[in-house]
Amino acid sequence: MSLLTITHLKVHFPTQDGMVKAIDTIDLEIANSERLGLIGETGCGKTVLGMSIIRLLQPSTKIEGEIWYKGKDLLKLSEGEMRKIRGKEIAMILQNPTTSLNPVLKVGDQIAEAIQLHQGLDKRAAREKAVEMLESVKIPSPDKRANEYPHEFSGGMKERAMIAMGLACNPSLIIADEPTKGLDVTIKMQIVKLLKEVSRRKSMLFITHDLGVATQICDNIAVMYAGELVEYAKTEDVFKNPLHPYTQGFLNSLPNMGLKPIRGMSPSLIDLPSGCRFHPRCDHASAKCTIEHPPMVEIEKGHSVRCFLYT
Amino acid sequence: MIEVENLKKYFSTGILRKRHIKAVNGVSFQIERGETLGLVGESGCGKTTIGRSLLRLIEPTAGKIIFDGIDLLHLKKKELRRLRPRMQMIFQDPDASLNPRMKIGDSIAEPLKLQGGLNKVEIKEKVSELIETVGLNPEHVNRYPYQLSGGQNQRVVLARVLAVNPDFIIADEPTSSLDVSVQAQILNLMNHLKREFDLTLLFISHDLEVVRHMSDRIAVMYRGKIVEIGSVNEIFEDAKHPYTNTLISPASSLEDQLIFEDMKDAWDSGCVFYPRCPFNTVICSKKEPEMVEIGKGHWVLCDRVT
Repeated sequence: MSLLTITHLKVHFPTQDGMVKAIDTIDLEIANSERLGLIGETGCGKTVLGMSIIRLLQPSTKIEGEIWYKGKDLLKLSEGEMRKIRGKEIAMILQNPTTSLNPVLKVGDQIAEAIQLHQGLDKRAAREKAVEMLESVKIPSPDKRANEYPHEFSGGMKERAMIAMGLACNPSLIIADEPTKGLDVTIKMQIVKLLKEVSRRKSMLFITHDLGVATQICDNIAVMYAGELVEYAKTEDVFKNPLHPYTQGFLNSLPNMGLKPIRGMSPSLIDLPSGCRFHPRCDHASAKCTIEHPPMVEIEKGHSVRCFLYT
Repeated sequence: MIEVENLKKYFSTGILRKRHIKAVNGVSFQIERGETLGLVGESGCGKTTIGRSLLRLIEPTAGKIIFDGIDLLHLKKKELRRLRPRMQMIFQDPDASLNPRMKIGDSIAEPLKLQGGLNKVEIKEKVSELIETVGLNPEHVNRYPYQLSGGQNQRVVLARVLAVNPDFIIADEPTSSLDVSVQAQILNLMNHLKREFDLTLLFISHDLEVVRHMSDRIAVMYRGKIVEIGSVNEIFEDAKHPYTNTLISPASSLEDQLIFEDMKDAWDSGCVFYPRCPFNTVICSKKEPEMVEIGKGHWVLCDRVT
């Protein structure tokens, strides 16, 4: 059973230079207790996808399509109804904990705020719950730490606090946006382990550009390029049998895979290439690729790719 | 080419209760001509401080830095200035290292103008030559940094650095803000330029895989000390220090990192790594270990291996 179904989602931002097509077009499903990794490079639209699910984009944004969650189309809900879902049903763990935490509020109070709002607990009980949450993300002496400010926490601990905040209301879906960005390797692995633990029996959309981290956590991986998905497969299949030339290029450019770069640059989202969006950088591009936009096709069960090489 | 001996840099903090932070605490290493030394370690271990001290962008507290036979720490400002073109640094964030109000071409021309000796036409020629060397297009000359991507800006920084014909370049996390596919482009370009211009490189990074790809030898740093130094093979196949092993296979990582962070300031004696070390003994907490050479050029800071 799918928990979240996104159909024909388009998200466009009007700017001075033209329409930025951050997402054009995405169809995606997340099943109950599925952990889905969303992989892509800077500016491909992955954060925007997360933001559109919990509707945190600015009002001028043009959004089309449907996002179904437990029988409701999130895009059609009123702001009041959405507020009941945001944080409680669907939680987002934002990237960059240093700027996402309020520097003038105690960490414990920040976590308690959401608990008070969504669970109707009084201040005291909410605080106790906050300490409990800090303990669940393995922060030592949580009682004392809850009374400290974000600047007294190290980077890894702040990330833990962010996770505690996201989990405080026991959401069914967690959207984690680059939770390991900027962390040292050893700490990164601890956060990965923690996320794996806390996301058990929950659904998670794990947004990252770090494939290594995604493999440790996710069941399936969706690869995004220039505002659309180009490949979707089980995590192991993405590694063993990457089909899309972009996925292959992405893997080959990793330092431990030989550091072979993909030529060229990601296209501007204002002026997308005609046909296949990857064709200017693709070694297999044919005349057809420059004109026609390839559809997403399921090659084998659970493995889809957007490329004419396979159709 | 570069010889560093017992380099120390302490920062003092606090207004009422002065404390010293030992960012770099007695570090020694050498870099041969034409070699790349990789310097790895977690954030805050002192990597960047070493890089900056080498160029005297910050003044080291103690120690000795010999560059091509010249003792850098005893040079006067003026003499140092004359030497600077031979030693260049590439910083982490390319967007922040370029003047946002200067066109790319002017940014690259600036060091040439400062150096003197070239007229306008020659400078222009040299700039277009450099632009081509780093794989940019001629039309980029008239653009501003915000019009270019992070990867392109890092190419501009490279062109600027190469303009003064340096012998020695310190690259401080040059690709940490770039995407993997762009990172691969920049790293390959750096390797290519290194061969073409016969450069000596100190490559600072927290990413062990990247360092592996770029370096001849690797130095691993932890809390202001080099805990192990050796060839790429020695570090990856035959690492002796427990910390190096943690970096290489972080999956087997230490759970006690957080507890360690909680007691960060609690100890000041013994081995830097002992609170996190799986093999620590009572002696480790008291006696500071000494750097020992266990193979030719392979040094380890751990009493357990001897």
